[in-house]
Amino acid sequence: MKTETKLIHFSEGIELESGEKLNSFDLMVETYGELNEGKSNAILLCHAFSGNHHAAGSSKDFGIGWWDQLVGPSKTIDTNKYFVVCCNNLGGCAGSSGPSSIDPSSQKIFGKSFPQVSVLDWVNSQKMLMDKLNIECWHFVAGGSLGGMQALQWSISYPDKVKKAGIFAAASKSSSQNIAMNEVARESIRKDENFHNGNYYEHDVIPKNGIKTARMLGHITYLSEEHMDSRFGRKFQDEDSKVEESVSFEVENYLQYKGEQFSELFDANSYILMTKVMDSYDAGKDKSLVGALKEVKAEFLIVGFYSDWLYPPERGKEIQIAAMNNNIRSSFVVLQGDHGHDSFLFSSKTYSNLISNFIES
Amino acid sequence: MAIKLSKIINSWVPENSKVIDFGCGDGSLLKELFENKQVLGYGVEINDTKIEKCIEKGVPVIKLDIDKGLNDFMSSNFDLSIMARSIQCLKNPDLALNRMLELSKRCVVTLPNLGYWRCRINLASGKMPITPELPSSWYETENIHLCTIKDFENLCLKENINIKDKVFINRNGDQGGLSKINPNLFAVEGVYLLEK
Repeated sequence: MKTETKLIHFSEGIELESGEKLNSFDLMVETYGELNEGKSNAILLCHAFSGNHHAAGSSKDFGIGWWDQLVGPSKTIDTNKYFVVCCNNLGGCAGSSGPSSIDPSSQKIFGKSFPQVSVLDWVNSQKMLMDKLNIECWHFVAGGSLGGMQALQWSISYPDKVKKAGIFAAASKSSSQNIAMNEVARESIRKDENFHNGNYYEHDVIPKNGIKTARMLGHITYLSEEHMDSRFGRKFQDEDSKVEESVSFEVENYLQYKGEQFSELFDANSYILMTKVMDSYDAGKDKSLVGALKEVKAEFLIVGFYSDWLYPPERGKEIQIAAMNNNIRSSFVVLQGDHGHDSFLFSSKTYSNLISNFIES
Repeated sequence: MAIKLSKIINSWVPENSKVIDFGCGDGSLLKELFENKQVLGYGVEINDTKIEKCIEKGVPVIKLDIDKGLNDFMSSNFDLSIMARSIQCLKNPDLALNRMLELSKRCVVTLPNLGYWRCRINLASGKMPITPELPSSWYETENIHLCTIKDFENLCLKENINIKDKVFINRNGDQGGLSKINPNLFAVEGVYLLEK
């Protein structure tokens, strides 16, 4: 698979939804396959909350790509056929400009001063990337969870630039419960003594415990009760492989391990920023959702999963109904999914066939 | 017979109309309506394999149990709803009929006729009917609310539903012959265009 990973600089900067401006910024971008002569085979993948530009294949720094089960040569999204683009979103911590990168104007780490971005800002920055790559229209824009929100926003903001949108395990806005969960995560980071009001870089520490607890909570919301029961049940962790003295059950050990691993990789300010992006998104905030979808020309494939209680299938159905009110050619399918909210990351026969049939039709 | 049925339905669908097909199967009928009548159509189906086929054909489809979710589409303003060979599988066919006529101006319903003479012979000999149109045994069938042509028309009368047009199909898939004279005895299937 022809893969290119590069940091692209945007010297023109970007006006943000908040009214603030980034005078220049960088996006870490990964592409797979090749753009055809007619430029008709470009696909944009939008990553979810803690994802990054590395969607497929294996890399030294990021391991296996977040959507490797579905993206690659002869896979569901076939990189022999399509030119697939994925970037680390603005505010992230995998190479793109974000709180942990250097502010060119002060030559210091942005830290807390990095402006709050939004789904719309991400879409606008991806549009700038699209222009730089000489792509005129995306054949398909897709993502799960927060990535699905971007796919939805793309079809709203740039109706002539998206032919098909894949909106998976997503919603047109976060629910009160979603926001509540995120606030607990943020609070655990803020209350970590090493957080230093977001300027922990200066003290050469990271609020590790805070991020770890936040991620542990996050993990619970990404999985389903059924999945956790079948995977861990009430099994006790054996003594030799305990990551913490205090754990008794396997599930505790799993969360400890996952939280620990994540806390060393992910920037705390990015974590807070990303959760705020998720919380603040509301596709229909200016009008109703029906009103927001008025200009959409793309076809939709909306997929929800029964086992997902973070963005349950009803949220996808709301988008479907608003789409039908606007005469958008939209499909809505609910699959079982074995992995709760995370189900969108895993390939299954039906999920894979739906996506490939949709892209090809 | 499928060709015949789609032909009848085709003739009732205005061009450029907005259509919803409940129990759309693999999306063949909607695909045909796109091509012939440039309709905007949505299918509703519960079977994943059939849903995959719809998407393959480019037919928009919604995975839904019709028994549970007809209310979801109330705001969509359809010109026509279609329920072909499915109404007898629903828990509340009477409610479904009324719902369909609330969410669309007109609806097309097709149903197998339990009054067909072969069914009657089966019943007369003391057994549940098994015919080419109703091939499953009583313990396997999804048809939980079978009725005769007469029963269905009585229901329409009771619910103040207008039968705008109707066609009866005989065992050869034609409209003619005895099924025209005595549909309740000779038609295997009734095809109705309804309005409230």
